[in-house]
Amino acid sequence: MAKVKLNVKVLRYNPDTDKKPYWKTYELETEDDVTILDVLNEIHWNIDGTLAYRRSCRSAICGSCAMKVNGRNVLACETGLHQFNSHKLKIEPLPGFKIIKDLVVDLDEFFAKLERILPYLILKKPTPDKEFLQSPQDFDKIQEAAMCILCGSCTSSCPSLWANEDYLGPAALLKAYRFIFDSRDDGTDERLDIINDRNGIWRCHTIFNCMEACPKDIKITEYLSRLKVKATENSI
Amino acid sequence: MSKTFKETSKTGAVLWFFQRVTAVILFIILVYHFVYYHFISQGVYPWRTVVAKMQSPWFNLLQFTFLITALYHGLNGVWMVAEDYIHCKAWRLAFFSVILMVGAALLFVGTLTIIKISSLKI
Ligand code: SF4
Repeated sequence: MAKVKLNVKVLRYNPDTDKKPYWKTYELETEDDVTILDVLNEIHWNIDGTLAYRRSCRSAICGSCAMKVNGRNVLACETGLHQFNSHKLKIEPLPGFKIIKDLVVDLDEFFAKLERILPYLILKKPTPDKEFLQSPQDFDKIQEAAMCILCGSCTSSCPSLWANEDYLGPAALLKAYRFIFDSRDDGTDERLDIINDRNGIWRCHTIFNCMEACPKDIKITEYLSRLKVKATENSI
Repeated sequence: MSKTFKETSKTGAVLWFFQRVTAVILFIILVYHFVYYHFISQGVYPWRTVVAKMQSPWFNLLQFTFLITALYHGLNGVWMVAEDYIHCKAWRLAFFSVILMVGAALLFVGTLTIIKISSLKI
């Protein structure tokens, strides 16, 4: 553990007072084994209390602290300084979303799109007395997709979404996959009807940005490709 | 709720499916083309030999399949990109009409070329 001097540029924006976002630079000294969230806390607590950012669990579970650091979408709480090989940091809000203030973005659209794909188990068969049983093979199909923490990094990194804000985006589509391929669920037809849309699954051009951005290493593009096959089988 | 979902289209599955199918066909035809015409049939051929080869029904079928699949694949690709960026319904319709017209014109010229080569006297 050693002390390092950091040069941190943060994209600041307050819609009430600023015409457009601007860069503000902070110079500080920290230990070299800290996370990006520790750096932001240090700035917020000891240098500039006006800096706004989201944080909650500090354990890469809540997904609140997703932001862009040195060009990559990451979770600030799990990303160490050592991962950047540099003592210069450029911290920005997630791209593709409206900025509420500084690093806090508006996720209303993101969650509206999630709601759109009916993100809950739809049951048409009689419910069993105890829990639904699922074979390990069936669980395997959805296990990774179910690990999504809805941080928004994937959707924010998607060029298709930058070009067309109406696109459902990878996170909502991944959630659709998670339920469509769940052996207990009976809502496949409704969901396929929703994602088989101009702004649904067909706007995914297999660019792979989402997979690079996902802090949970979910193979999003692969699951979206399976969804395309499923939607095609259903409509041809 | 977002303005996103008011205007929908369900044609995506068919377009996507045939984009894959035509990609496979194009790949096979191109591999055949390169292997047969550039590697196996290497050497200097007289004009008559080349035209005779091009007049075979098999070659014509291949050329016509190539024309159709290449046109579909290329223009559908352009349409997919356009759909990303053109959000106004009227502009989209206008662009789609242009794509259809370009497709029809190229199909006409391509077919004419195949027919002309087939009917050359050698
Ligand atoms: S798929 Fe990954 S990047 Fe996308 S919202 Fe879920 S956890 Fe975040």
